[in-house]
Amino acid sequence: MKKFFVIALLAILGFYLTIAFLQIPFGQNRLGQPQDEATVGAYYLNNTKEKSAVSNVVTAIVVNYRGFDTLGEVTVLFLASTGLASILYRRKEEEVERINKPSSSLLQTGSKFLFPLVVLLGIYVFIHGHLTPGGGFQGGAIIATGFLLMLIAYQKYHVSHSMLTWVESLAGVLFVSIGLWGLITGGTFLENSYFPKGVLNSLISGGAIPIIYIAVGFKVAAELTGVLDILLNTKEEKSVPSNQNEK
Amino acid sequence: MNISPVHYIALPLLAAFLIPLLSKLHKELARIVPGLVFLYFLVISVVLMQRLETQPMISEVIAGWSAPWGINLVFTPFSGFLVSLMSFIGFLVWVYSYHFKKIDYMPAQKYFILLMMLVTGSIGIVLTGDIFNLFVFLEIVAISAYSLTAFYPGRDGAEAAFKYLLVGSFASALILLAIVILYTQTGTLNMADLAVKMHEVPHYLKVIIFVLFLVGFGIEAEMFPLNGWAPDAYSQAPGPIGAVFAGIVVKGGIYALVRVVYTIFDLSGVGTILIALGLVTMIIAELAALRQDNLKRMLAYSSIGQMGVVLIAFGIGTDTAIFAALFLMLNHALIKSMLFFSASYLLYNSTTKTIKELTGMAKHLPFVSFIFALGAFAIVGLPPFSGFWSKLYFLMAAADAQMVLLIITVLSVSVIEIIYYFRVIGKIYSKDETSELEPKKPTINSVLVMTVLGALIIIIGVYPDLVTDWIHHASDALVNKSNYIQNVLTENLPR
Repeated sequence: MKKFFVIALLAILGFYLTIAFLQIPFGQNRLGQPQDEATVGAYYLNNTKEKSAVSNVVTAIVVNYRGFDTLGEVTVLFLASTGLASILYRRKEEEVERINKPSSSLLQTGSKFLFPLVVLLGIYVFIHGHLTPGGGFQGGAIIATGFLLMLIAYQKYHVSHSMLTWVESLAGVLFVSIGLWGLITGGTFLENSYFPKGVLNSLISGGAIPIIYIAVGFKVAAELTGVLDILLNTKEEKSVPSNQNEK
Repeated sequence: MNISPVHYIALPLLAAFLIPLLSKLHKELARIVPGLVFLYFLVISVVLMQRLETQPMISEVIAGWSAPWGINLVFTPFSGFLVSLMSFIGFLVWVYSYHFKKIDYMPAQKYFILLMMLVTGSIGIVLTGDIFNLFVFLEIVAISAYSLTAFYPGRDGAEAAFKYLLVGSFASALILLAIVILYTQTGTLNMADLAVKMHEVPHYLKVIIFVLFLVGFGIEAEMFPLNGWAPDAYSQAPGPIGAVFAGIVVKGGIYALVRVVYTIFDLSGVGTILIALGLVTMIIAELAALRQDNLKRMLAYSSIGQMGVVLIAFGIGTDTAIFAALFLMLNHALIKSMLFFSASYLLYNSTTKTIKELTGMAKHLPFVSFIFALGAFAIVGLPPFSGFWSKLYFLMAAADAQMVLLIITVLSVSVIEIIYYFRVIGKIYSKDETSELEPKKPTINSVLVMTVLGALIIIIGVYPDLVTDWIHHASDALVNKSNYIQNVLTENLPR
């Protein structure tokens, strides 16, 4: 009976959601005609080049038009890592060694070789966030995968938590300070027009947008690395593998 | 730098990012800085509320892009009322929990960051004029709330947090889905702009979007049958956080629901749905509260029941009913947080947290017991406490709308409320035996906080006129939708 109800409920929900989503003409231009300034999307497409000097409109939307949302999202990630650290917190004396087998020399040598390249790619992605697809979040995540590789390959590999805290905090403070600079100079929070715009399509363009994206990149990288490090260094309670007993 | 609504968001974020560095400098800073932020919240609230006397509302643009293109914050008398209330409760919670985890400073640092962001996120929900930005703040609130629920190590806390996480993520997904559909239909995310363009959306889509919002925000607002997470979360989180959930976070959920219903949508018949949902929520929650052995779970169910009454009042939708709803929210924030503060001390060394263990507690903790009794009298609506007036205004609003059956139901549910609160008071003041719990003497901070709240409840109870003007302004601002739209969209469109 219960199952029947659940299935019926899901069917009703699915039916109405399908109707709603059939309304969205995927693949068609939903931003509106560029001449028609009524929709928000058309306005962004028309004005971003001149007003912000950013060739990647998506980045302009993420970091400038809706920069406040991005600040919020950065905070969400910060809170998630803070919360995880508080839940998995243990005092110094209780700290335990990671339990995993040493990895093969193939993986070890390979990751030593790959690590700098992965980090370089990550940095490239977030530095060019305002020119090419990608940006702070993507670049930061790429860098964190580099650290994950090292953490898996080397049992003794440790990321300095104090360094992560510094990077994380300073990057966050930089983001908010750029925002506050607009307020201090008499404009609005996160306003971009107080920074020199630079030349469209060059590395130095878009005012504060690349600076913010670099800060986001560092912050995301530090946070995700911190999360991975905490998770890998947490011993599960009562789940010590039983192979030792079998031996 | 003029004081403006964005300070509510920017400064706590700056502080949150700085605290890990500052606490390397001196450990005590991790406790002090959030307090300074809360204190600053109170300053902003006072300044902005005064500014509202000369202008109808303050609409602030972010990043220099005016209303539909960028994000804006709107400080109306209604949001000002809620924001000031949240700042005040937040500050009290900080004072109350100043000595929390005194020895172990790392957890304390995390606790204070999460507490600060929980309050900031709720304030952000109330301030923002953009529906997607509201979603972002909802996420900030949710993530901090999950972490704080699981703050104490152990199985129960983790289970409660995981339950909350599942339900909360479901809510977020539905809200995001609703925003997506809304955006494809109107091409805008600004709430005032949405309200203008809402008539372009076909009616059946409106209903789908509305139901998605109702379920999503209903989970945060503890609406039946979506409130399964609440009793667990309230009872497992650290004591003061229970006060934050009841006093601040729920108010954010209710606000989001009300903003969607009153400003964005123009559907008919929504009021009836809210009344029905509120009634079911109230009846089931109060009956569940009656059956609880665990004191904090009982308080949580009572909190859900109160939110049901608020929903009914918003559902009736007349001016007097909205006034009553806001008054109920004010009282609930003050009284429920006081009850949680005192209950934490009553149960301090208990492992099971049951009501049975409280027998004769009044001998050990006379002050805390007195405060708890005061709170219980106030929340069931006995004169001369503040809870009496809000309930009276609510019944008057219902009488104006000629809902006799509703009045009878609410009154009989009040009797249930009286039964279970008085059962606890009877236990605390029982003279037959004394509790085996080892009482913990309340700290000076917590005594101060409880005294302030107790005094406020009595003062508002004796002179309700002190706050009614303030609430009248707030309810007028909520009802006057065209004023909101006009101020947001025209005042800053010259770009």
